[in-house]
Amino acid sequence: MRRAGQVLLGLVVLIAAAAPWLAPNPPDRAFTELLYAPPTPIRFTPRLRLSPEEGFGAAGLFMYPQRLVSRLERRFEEDRQHPAALEWFTGGRLVTVAEAQGGPLLLLGADRFGRDTFSRLLYGARASLALAAVATVLALAIGALVGGVAGYAGGTVDDLLSRFTDFVLVLPAIYVALALRAVMPLVLPPATVFVGLTGIFALLGWPIVARGVRAIIASERERDYALAVHALGARPSRILLRHLLPAAGGYLGVQATLLLPAFILAEATLSYVGLGFPETVPTWGTLLQEAANVSLLAEAPWMLAPAAAIFIVVLAVNLAVQGTGRAPVQLEP
Amino acid sequence: MARFLARRLLFALVLVLVVSSASLVLARLAPGDVSAQLGPFASPTEIASTRARFGLDRSPAAQWTLWAGRALRFEFGESFLYNRPVRGLIGRAAANTAALAVVALAAATLLGIPLGMFTGSRRGAGAALVRGASLVFLSVPPLLTSLILVFIAATTRLFPPGGMTTAGALEVGWSAWLLDVAIHIPLPALALALPIAATFERLQSQSMTEALHQPFALAALARGVAPRDVIVRHAWRVSLRPICAVYGLAIGALLSGSFIVEFVTAWPGLGRLMYEALRARDIYLVAGCAAMGGLFLAFGSLIGDLLLAAADPRVRERQAA
Amino acid sequence: MLVTAGLLAAFVLVMRLGRDLGRDGVSGGGGGPAARGGQIVASIRGEPRTFNRYVAQDQTSEALSLLLQARLVRINRATFELEPWLAEKWESSPDGRTHTIHLRPGLTWSDGTPLTSADVLFSLRAIYDPKVESVLADSLTAGGQPLRAAAPDAQTVVVTFAAPSGRGVRLLDGLPILPKHKLEAALTAGTFASAYNTTTPPADVVGAGPFVLREYQPGQRVVLDRNPRYWRKAPDGSPLPYLDRIVLQIVPEQNAELLRIQSGETDLTSTELRPEDYVPIRRAEEEGRLRLIELGVGPDADALWFCLKPEVKGKDPRFAFVQRPEFRRAISYAVDREAFAETVFLSAAVPVWGPITPGNPNWFWPDIPRYPHDDDRARMLLREIGLEDRNGNGVVEDAAGTEARFTVITQRGIGWYERGTAVVRDELAGIGIALEIAPLELGALIQRLQACDYDAMYYRPVFNDLDPAANLDFWLSSGSSHFWNMSQKTPATDWERRIDTLMLEQAAELNPDRRIMQFRLVQQIMAENLPVLHFAAPRMYYAHSARLQGVVPSVLRPPVLWNADGLSVSQ
Repeated sequence: MRRAGQVLLGLVVLIAAAAPWLAPNPPDRAFTELLYAPPTPIRFTPRLRLSPEEGFGAAGLFMYPQRLVSRLERRFEEDRQHPAALEWFTGGRLVTVAEAQGGPLLLLGADRFGRDTFSRLLYGARASLALAAVATVLALAIGALVGGVAGYAGGTVDDLLSRFTDFVLVLPAIYVALALRAVMPLVLPPATVFVGLTGIFALLGWPIVARGVRAIIASERERDYALAVHALGARPSRILLRHLLPAAGGYLGVQATLLLPAFILAEATLSYVGLGFPETVPTWGTLLQEAANVSLLAEAPWMLAPAAAIFIVVLAVNLAVQGTGRAPVQLEP
Repeated sequence: MARFLARRLLFALVLVLVVSSASLVLARLAPGDVSAQLGPFASPTEIASTRARFGLDRSPAAQWTLWAGRALRFEFGESFLYNRPVRGLIGRAAANTAALAVVALAAATLLGIPLGMFTGSRRGAGAALVRGASLVFLSVPPLLTSLILVFIAATTRLFPPGGMTTAGALEVGWSAWLLDVAIHIPLPALALALPIAATFERLQSQSMTEALHQPFALAALARGVAPRDVIVRHAWRVSLRPICAVYGLAIGALLSGSFIVEFVTAWPGLGRLMYEALRARDIYLVAGCAAMGGLFLAFGSLIGDLLLAAADPRVRERQAA
Repeated sequence: MLVTAGLLAAFVLVMRLGRDLGRDGVSGGGGGPAARGGQIVASIRGEPRTFNRYVAQDQTSEALSLLLQARLVRINRATFELEPWLAEKWESSPDGRTHTIHLRPGLTWSDGTPLTSADVLFSLRAIYDPKVESVLADSLTAGGQPLRAAAPDAQTVVVTFAAPSGRGVRLLDGLPILPKHKLEAALTAGTFASAYNTTTPPADVVGAGPFVLREYQPGQRVVLDRNPRYWRKAPDGSPLPYLDRIVLQIVPEQNAELLRIQSGETDLTSTELRPEDYVPIRRAEEEGRLRLIELGVGPDADALWFCLKPEVKGKDPRFAFVQRPEFRRAISYAVDREAFAETVFLSAAVPVWGPITPGNPNWFWPDIPRYPHDDDRARMLLREIGLEDRNGNGVVEDAAGTEARFTVITQRGIGWYERGTAVVRDELAGIGIALEIAPLELGALIQRLQACDYDAMYYRPVFNDLDPAANLDFWLSSGSSHFWNMSQKTPATDWERRIDTLMLEQAAELNPDRRIMQFRLVQQIMAENLPVLHFAAPRMYYAHSARLQGVVPSVLRPPVLWNADGLSVSQ
């Protein structure tokens, strides 16, 4: 189970990293003839193409180009006269169909601008995962520092920091996140939104980490090895950083697995209500905005793909954290 | 005990004050103000009088002082969006959110605890299935659950796809109104409750297993106590402690989750109100909502801590010190 | 475990049983072409801020005013003809300045008090009262002056205009009559502006409209009951309205509104459909649950304009060429309007070249100067004013090197704005003008509009009155809705001065044909100088539940509720 979770997580990260190669189309290319187009069915003929003219291809995977019948009624039909073979390893992409040949290949259909949902999903993985990862690292760093200092120093410093930690902990996070994002000017370049959101998430996430680290450091401080190093004359900062904090390593690891999904969801929530990234930037949250039109979902259930992606990541993280625990007991015969 | 409560009360008040003041100042600093709600055809006089009405012609500091003074007298200003005092609006919305949270918590408890007892005390396909389902629901957050549930509701039309009451329902006494609300509440409550139920199930399962591994369980079996009784009467009480520890956090999760669920399912609660207020820069309403949210959370964490103290005597001693 | 299962089962049972609760509410008698009784549920987008139409002009206030109050005359929103309403007949003097209006005999308010000319006089007094700061005061003027009224007897009102007005008695469609006996005290005390607010007890909100206020639950709904003392009768003599009750449910978002009408919770939506909603509604129509109506072309088109305020933009080096009409004409040539209509409105639109569309038949001018799609001519025009791509980066710049790069702000979340700006951006990239799109929340958008804090804006201003003389705020250079350069002290350009003169003449002109000619001149000037660019006007589609009868849809908002007294439900 754990292994499965870790593998899945690794797979997701790999896919995100390789998005430009895996995506059949550029994420911002708008195919104006194909608004709300359904996914392109992929067909198969058992015919190997080995000649350079026809293009190399695995045993005849091909598609029919979609032609627009009626925009208002969103009806498309397949152009059976011109089958287009799937092209592998061309144009810097794993698989694609060039527009000249009859493309595009829309594995998950197109959105309201005619952009390829599947490609945007892959690119969106980068933004969402990167944001969550950076925010997690920041939250861990800040939390470890504050918690470590509080646990080590003790006394009034500890008291003060702990009260402050409790205070931030008790703040209604979503309200604060909403308010903070809302006060940032709404016209912001995506990079600034990224930095802003990372900052907000890190600021809201560090107290949980700090609390736990403080408890660990406070008890580790009394251990023999810590006293020994202190007797040898090491500076407090060195004791803290080099000797005590590593003891909190396990806890930090567990916290990371709690924070990561939480931040992915926070980005999705904020973008869904329009206070995250602008719609032009593909992230899983902005892709879900399309799903806000529920009557559309009935016609185009593939629009929920970002939800599935989020679910897979969170599931992977949950699987990866599963403690071995004790074997369940069967009392009754 | 009294000292403990007094300290928590003071803490809650300070929290509420800080949160609402911060929201007020933040909303003020945000670009745009409430006069933009008048639309593109508003006349300059209309705009100016609206600004004056909401203290926007003063500096943020002056406005805060004025607001704080009135807040101490329990006057929280007016809302632009609803054109009425903030107090009544917050009260109603808070009640709706509280109702949702209570039902969701109850559902999570009733689902999670028994299922956890079940999976913690046996092997076999049934238990494995429930464990698997728990893992799934742990991974589907309220946003996704509510989207999917609304989608199902809209297509199958088995239950209402949102809202708190049926629009056309006439004013027919308490019982019919309660019934109406009861039909509308399962959708948002379920969306909120499922991840929490899954958490409870997992925790209960693990701690039940732990408890059953203890010597006293074996001893009870040896004495001839029926397995069912060993689980329910002996092991369960011991296994409850970690759940109590988590209850406080669950309440926190409910409050943040409730915002997005209210948004997707059009439940007229506090989260939804705050969002509308933020969008319109309805400044006094924003401050009021934030204050209420803070109060909820303080109250919730108090309940959580009390439960924890009840379950674990060591905590009680530490708190008394 | 059993407890849990039992509770779950109970829940399911309750849901199935309770599903019928309040579905159809009170049902009246059956049979006949217009059945009496029944109730409907309509959704509205905005929260009612007040029940006093004199101090609010949002859509919800207008809808409520049409339901709760009555006017002296009514402009039929489907035929645009003037109909007698509270007034039975009227005579106008030849110079168009005096109108004698005769009220119907036997009119009463919803609380039984007789409605007389004193109420009309009172209403006019309230509108012009400076303490009230009524939003209706500016539009209820002739020649810039308030109307004067006198009441020779209880059934007659003589209204005097300070100057002739082309609109004449039609002006009075904008004056809901409010009861003197209920509101005079507030007017005298200076608190009229907060009278009839949302905390007023419903029984005190007295009006002469087809419905009366029953209750208002903030954030949820407004319930209106039929007014038993409503003056209007059906053609067969039976009293109107047919419906017993209208429930206005507050649903702030269009997606949620759509969901409700599809699931049968509501009978009406507050606005027209979006092109992307056509498919699910069509499906619902095929299943017999809804009726889809096409209203034809709408009266408003999406507009693109640059802020041309010299006081703000004067220092901007780009202003030198933006203020030239050739620049805007080039843009007009560069956009292929047919393709625009196809992409942005999914083919459900017609190309337009000015602010008046075919959906406004009385004022539309089919021969308005057009700019056919011609990129070469566009580039030539840009060269004429010194804009060329000298450095080969695809963007034109002037001799000093200032590039033609702009940010266009628009409202976020609206499908056709997003598509429209994308199309315009792509078309203009073809002639070397670079646009960047910045979608904003409506509040931020309006803020920037009013401060001229933007390069260009793309938006559809919705006018509630099709007569241009009712929208002088937009046409006159001194107007507060003269978007590209609002509230000018003196006209900034020659052609704006000419438009000012023509519009004022047109507003005072009594001869309808001459008015049309004068307005065509205005449209000509607009088309030559293009302060605002229009590309396509969408066709309007509307949906209502299949059980609703007597629907007379209008391109103006509210599309159906304006004729609420004629609505009924089939059983």
